Amino acid sequence: MALVALLSIALLAGLGFGSVGISPGTTLRLLAWKLGLAERPAGVPASTVVILFDLRLPRVLLAALVGAALATAGTLFQALFRNPMADPAIIGVSSGAAMGAILVILSGAGAAFGGLAVSAAAFAGALATAFLVYRLARLGPAVHVGTLLLSGIAVAAVISAAISMVMAFSGQEIRSIYFWLLGGFGSRGWAALGAAAPFVAIGSGVALAVAGDLNLTSLGEERAGQLGLEVERFKRLMLATGALLTAAAVSVSGLIGFVGLMTPHILRLATGADHRRLLPSAIVGGAAFLVLADLAARTLVTPEEIPVGAVTALLGGPFFLFLLRRERRSPGAGA
Amino acid sequence: MPEPEPGLVLEGVSAGYGARHVLRDVSVSASPGEITGLIGPNGSGKTTLIRVASRGLRPERGAVRVAGRDPFDLTARRAARLVAVVPQEVLATFPFSVLETVLMGRAPYLSPWGAGRPEDWSRVRSAMAAAGVSHLGDRGVSQLSGGERQRVILAQALAQDAPVLLLDEPTTHLDIRHVVRILTLVRGLARREGTAVLTIFHDLNLASVYCDRIYALKEGRVVARGTPATVISSATLQEVFGVRADVLPGAAAGRPAVVFASMPREGSLEPGAERVHVIGGAGRGAELIRSLMERGLEVTTGVLHATDTDAAVAERLNLLRITVPPFSQIDAGSAAECIGIIRKASALIVCDAPFGPGNVENLRIAIHAAREGVPTILLQQVPIEERDFTGGEATEAWRRLASGSVVTPSVEATLDAVEAIRSRRARRSG
Repeated sequence: MALVALLSIALLAGLGFGSVGISPGTTLRLLAWKLGLAERPAGVPASTVVILFDLRLPRVLLAALVGAALATAGTLFQALFRNPMADPAIIGVSSGAAMGAILVILSGAGAAFGGLAVSAAAFAGALATAFLVYRLARLGPAVHVGTLLLSGIAVAAVISAAISMVMAFSGQEIRSIYFWLLGGFGSRGWAALGAAAPFVAIGSGVALAVAGDLNLTSLGEERAGQLGLEVERFKRLMLATGALLTAAAVSVSGLIGFVGLMTPHILRLATGADHRRLLPSAIVGGAAFLVLADLAARTLVTPEEIPVGAVTALLGGPFFLFLLRRERRSPGAGA
Repeated sequence: MPEPEPGLVLEGVSAGYGARHVLRDVSVSASPGEITGLIGPNGSGKTTLIRVASRGLRPERGAVRVAGRDPFDLTARRAARLVAVVPQEVLATFPFSVLETVLMGRAPYLSPWGAGRPEDWSRVRSAMAAAGVSHLGDRGVSQLSGGERQRVILAQALAQDAPVLLLDEPTTHLDIRHVVRILTLVRGLARREGTAVLTIFHDLNLASVYCDRIYALKEGRVVARGTPATVISSATLQEVFGVRADVLPGAAAGRPAVVFASMPREGSLEPGAERVHVIGGAGRGAELIRSLMERGLEVTTGVLHATDTDAAVAERLNLLRITVPPFSQIDAGSAAECIGIIRKASALIVCDAPFGPGNVENLRIAIHAAREGVPTILLQQVPIEERDFTGGEATEAWRRLASGSVVTPSVEATLDAVEAIRSRRARRSG
């Protein structure tokens, strides 16, 4: 409940702050009017209406959607890899999605077939990377932190190099792709929201439906099998779901790291490890976190805008190092 | 159709990992209401057998039946209702509470979102009580000691409520109090609920006390099976583990107990180690035999009457020995066989046993061997006249023997004499 309240406040703040301030009261009255619950409030300039509904609302909702998707994907990968350091960006799945998306954008297929082609390509890239890294990182009953991070780094590095090469050869559109790679919500409008929402809904729905089984995989694959889980099938389903969520997020917002790492970690302290509580919390918490991060990105250095990926990295990098140090002090924890 | 066999049955199972064959044509069964033990050295296939029985590894050949069903024909969920496993260790990656962990044992009965029906919770509570972890309910599993965590995992398996329970060395991290508690609990479960229990033991004495039946595995094959009284013997332990151990029949609550009284020295088990033959009788050889073995020497003995104390010691130590029936005279065949053995020994020791008509032949055997050049030592703590029950024949033979041998007054001195003989030999051959 506290998380839902946090998300509401984050959303209102996200809608209210900016070059033109809109008070929470005005925001709520305008929303009520749009939903047909109230009369159009008097004395609100038309520009405010446009800013709220055409710029800020889709942007804030997109941030919430992407935050939810990344936090869910992070939770899935952590349970599946039995490793609290897993995150779609750290293990390279985000890069894989970006690679797929960029190839489609540069080839012109994106223009021809629209957002769907970009999403599909991002999904294919994410899926391939997820399976590849899983194969590379798995050396025993669990995925070792060191192996996982190194495999992820190596795969991500290869993919980044490939992206750079592709961009060098294509020449055009580099600037837009560059900004896209840094991650952000820019002014993507309602279309992006519509393109990503169904996939995020499907992915989160699947994750929520199997939350109890994620508890079993955190005990290890063999043990999960002994407790009645069809492990191989479940693993494939979860890798695919994580890739779908990551791809949906990446194809509309570029590379935004650390949301999937930090959100489950912090929330586990509050809800415990049971995924039936952790997953819903992560969905709401991830949404709130990214809405606030985006708010910071566009208001801290006005009129310039910091890429939101930079904001999450600024917060997430030190957090990641903190976790890594703690992990090394207690060798049993993730090994 | 015949009645489906309850419990666990593995028939002619061969299994392995890729090219590595671990189990070879193994047949094992665990009956309801009984504890069946698996013993064997590391790498003999015990854990692999548990894995096959719990649907974790598909056998290359052979049949597996759990409560009459082939687990590989069932879904993982169905199979988990029939067979529960207590693994050696479960890593705790995330901070699950004890209650959450034990409730996972009900997963085969619940949907992923099921919070547990009243009967699930009552199973969880009774499993926690049985494993002695009720008081830990809200604690995080990662904060527990190894022993506590092992009992939580036991509770998780008990909550599965399966008719077959497999334990993969469940007592590795536990102190003896908890070991006894868990094994007693498991035995009670078997007796009360008719659970078929199959468990790996490293401690042979625990296996002896708690098992109804025992299978000994070596290099992926069953090399012995039966009740503890038949499987736990010096001969089997020598064969399976390659160690010498004394087995005291009936010493552990009516079951055999294993003691490692004579500490083998390094190298003593190698074939071709130096061998000494001891002629004893009436228990006069026992101390010497042990001392020789502690020094890493192979020992053979005889001729002895089968019920003689020295013969019992030799049997416990699994020594090569020549025996004749009680109260009989030593026959020519046994004597010849014994001379054959002594001939290849590096020394012969004759102990100060009492000699009567039944065993005076031993002295003639010794004289024969000494004449053939086998270095001979006489251990004499008691004068021959006091232990001659032949009317002079034994005394005469003993004196003849003494004239060409080393005569020592104590076991210590005998051991020194053996060392002297060995070093002379070493110098000659070196």
